[in-house]
Parts: sequence; C-alpha cells; structure tokens
Amino acid sequence: MPASAERPINVYRVHPLTLWVAAFLALVLQTFLPVVLPLARLLDLPLLVVIYFSVTRRSKVFGTLFGTAVGLAEDALSHGFLGMFGVVKALVGYFGAWASVKFDLEQFLGRLALTAALVLLHSLAVDGLRHMLLESPPPIQPLDLASLVLLNSAMAVVLFQVLDRFRRPA
Amino acid sequence: MNSPPGQPQGGRRAPFAGARIGRDGLLELRSPEAPRPAPPRVPEGPEVVQAFISRHRPFFTLVAVLAAQLVLLSLQITPAQHEPLAKAWAVAALAPFERSLRGIADLTGGSWHAVRDLTQAERQNNELQARLAADQTQIRNLAENATENHRLRSLLDFRAQLPYATVAAEVIGSSPGEGSNTVLIDKGGDSGLGNDFPVVTPEGVVGKIVAVYPHSAQVLLLTDPAAGAGGLLESSRAQGVLKGTGQGLCRMEYVMNGDAVSPGETVVTSGLDQVYPKGLPLGTVMTVGNGNIYKNILVKPAAALDRLEDVLVVVAKRPAPEEAKARH
Repeated sequence: MPASAERPINVYRVHPLTLWVAAFLALVLQTFLPVVLPLARLLDLPLLVVIYFSVTRRSKVFGTLFGTAVGLAEDALSHGFLGMFGVVKALVGYFGAWASVKFDLEQFLGRLALTAALVLLHSLAVDGLRHMLLESPPPIQPLDLASLVLLNSAMAVVLFQVLDRFRRPA
Repeated sequence: MNSPPGQPQGGRRAPFAGARIGRDGLLELRSPEAPRPAPPRVPEGPEVVQAFISRHRPFFTLVAVLAAQLVLLSLQITPAQHEPLAKAWAVAALAPFERSLRGIADLTGGSWHAVRDLTQAERQNNELQARLAADQTQIRNLAENATENHRLRSLLDFRAQLPYATVAAEVIGSSPGEGSNTVLIDKGGDSGLGNDFPVVTPEGVVGKIVAVYPHSAQVLLLTDPAAGAGGLLESSRAQGVLKGTGQGLCRMEYVMNGDAVSPGETVVTSGLDQVYPKGLPLGTVMTVGNGNIYKNILVKPAAALDRLEDVLVVVAKRPAPEEAKARH
C-alpha cells in the first residue's frame, strides 16, 4: 500500500546491542542449523535480520552499511569470496529502507510481500554476481528459488514477531 | 473646538515618530515600513554539488559500498588466466586509452617518419639524378670512345692492308664559307706531309693536301670544284676525270657516250693522275645521261666527306717484303 502524504510514519529505535546480538545469533545459527537440519540450508537468517532492521530504522545509509557488515561476516564464514554476500546484502538493506518509507509495512501482508521480494532480489543478485565474476557459476534452479523465497518468508513472519519485542518508538 | 480630522487636536503633535493622532483623538501607531526582503542568494558551484550529495547521500553511500566490495572481490577472484579480476578489470579499463594513445603516437610518429622519409627521398632523388647525369655522361663518353675505337680500329686495319706508308691524322677544322670544301688536319710538315699527298679513309678517297704548315695541313676535298682525280669505272673500265661540283657530289667527265655506264657502278682511282694510288674507291654512280659527246655522270663520293673525323695521309709507297729483304 503506497504511503500517503498524511500517513504518520512510525520510527522505531533499536538498542545497538540488540542489533549486533541479533546479527551474531543469526550468523551462528546459520552455520549450525544446516548440520542438524538439512532443510535449514535454504534459510538465510542473516538476510532476514538485515531486512528487519533496515525496514525498522528506515534509513538507507544504515541499511546499506548494516547489510554490508552482515554480508561480509557471512562471506568470512563461508567458502566463497569476501564481498559476494556483502554486495547483495548492501543492496537488500538499501532497498528495504527505501521501501519502508514508500510503503505501509506495519501490516502483516506488507511485510510478507516485501520480505519475499527482497529474498528474491537477494537470490537473483547472488546468481547474477556469480555469473558475472565466476567462470563456471552454478546453474539457476527455479524450484530451489521458489522454495527459498517461501521458506524464508515464512521464517520472517516468526522472526519479525520476536524482534518486534525489542524495538521502541523513537 | 474640534480640529479637522487628521489634524492634531489643539495643535498637538505626535509625541514620537511613527505615531499620529487619529480621528477619535487616540494615538495611532504607524508601523515602520517593512524592510525589503533581500534577494535570494544564488548558490555557487561547490555549494550546489554539496547540496546534491547531501540530498542523495544514501545513494552515494550505496554506490561507494558496492564499489569497495567489487574491488575486494576482484582482488580475490582469479579467472583461468591466473590473474586477479582486479588486474583484468584495470587492464580492460585502461586498454582502450592505451590503444588510443598508441594510435596517436603511431600517427604522430608515422607522420614524422613520412616527412623525414620524404625529405630523405628528395635528397636521395637529387643525388641519384646527379649520379644518373654523371653516369649518362660517362656512358656517352664510353660510347664515343667505343665508336672512336671502332673507327680507329677500322682505320688501323685499313692502314695495314694498304701497300703504302700512311700517317694517321685527325680532322680538326673545316673551311668556313660556302663553296669551299677543305678541311684542316692535325698533322703537318713535322710529320713528313707535303703538298698533293692523297688523303683517304677506309670508305674511300677524301682528297689531297693543298697546303702544309708545320703542325697542320689543309686538305682539298673531292667535292671541291677545284679538285680532280683520275677515275675508272670498275665494271665498264671506262676512264674519265672526277671533278667536284661544290655541292657535296662529283661529276665524272670525259666518258664517251658510247661507253656503258650504269647507276650504282663503282668508280675507283685510275692512278693516271700520279696523285692517287690506283684502285682506291672514289664513289658510286648516281645518274647517267648522254651529253653532246661525253656522258653526264653524277657520282656520290664513297667517303662521308661531311662526317670526317680520322683520315690517313699516304706519304709513300711501302716497299714490298722481297724488296725489303734484298735491301737488307
């Protein structure tokens, strides 16, 4: 739903500790969960954390920098190249903050739609970057892509409800 | 008594500037004139840029972050050529400029070389032309020498065949004026020449010496009207006297109308004039006609009297080999 000029924009504040603890836990769980639960490979908890805080803070600068930091941390923990996830999560953080100002995202459906869109953007950006930089990138699997979007969107519903408890109106 | 409206009551004046007494006698304050608003200040260049960047700070932040991470990725990713992407991108970015600069340098260098080559070519051309002229002159000289060599060799061979002692001489001048057919040769009294000595070439008789000087001699050509030689038609054996016409030809006189003479017949010396040895070619019959008593025979001299260069002067009859043995 597009924002009207008279719609009051709720700005929330999050404690910095909450921010970094959430990011840290997301990274830890992302590395641990796939070991015990193979389906967790499709989850991207750090991505969901980036989406949440970018939308909540409504600052494109913050979203870009926070996404970059989380993405670089994820790169450091993975076998890939440093900067791969940093680039795409920076884009996700930027566009998440941009969308939070343009659209009404307090409603459940709005959040779900934005989350799905950003997860799709993230996956496509990763694949695009691999095709651009790597000589033999893995093929794009549409079914995997769809599963990824659905699973992460569902996970976001739960995660966002948990994180909402830690935010305060500005 | 009330004063007219607007006039101070009883002559009272406003207590301070900006005030007046109204109709109802109350003091009215008049607000001072509002100052004119200052014209809006036009921002200058750097301020415009700064304002633009501030307005779009989030976007520029995103661009900077993405660029930094792409650089980071390029430093790590190494394609099959085993060179980092950063190097490959840097080379790809600079290559067009390098190619353009190289093209400009090549063009400039090429133009300079072309100008220099052109100058060199011009100089070379001039040198070659000078050499060509010199070589052509040399070739002409060599050809001249060869011709002279051939001519002299022919003269030498002819001289060897002649049973007479001869002196070779070079024609160094001819007589000026029309109607005089004489040439000057470079041998004279010091070479043993004397008047009436016959002068011949391998082609035929030229004339005889008519004047001798210490180092040169004058030769009267056969074509001179004053010249004459005893002639013999080789085929018909008719005898006559060959005289010059003064116009490059000779006339055979005293040949009877009854003698058979045909054009193309060779005329040789008869030896009867005691000047020219017998049997030397005088010329060829050109035309034959009957006169009153004698024929009118026109003869073309055998020797090229208008192109004389080297001649032989017969100085004495060479003794025969038997006579030379007997003498010794």
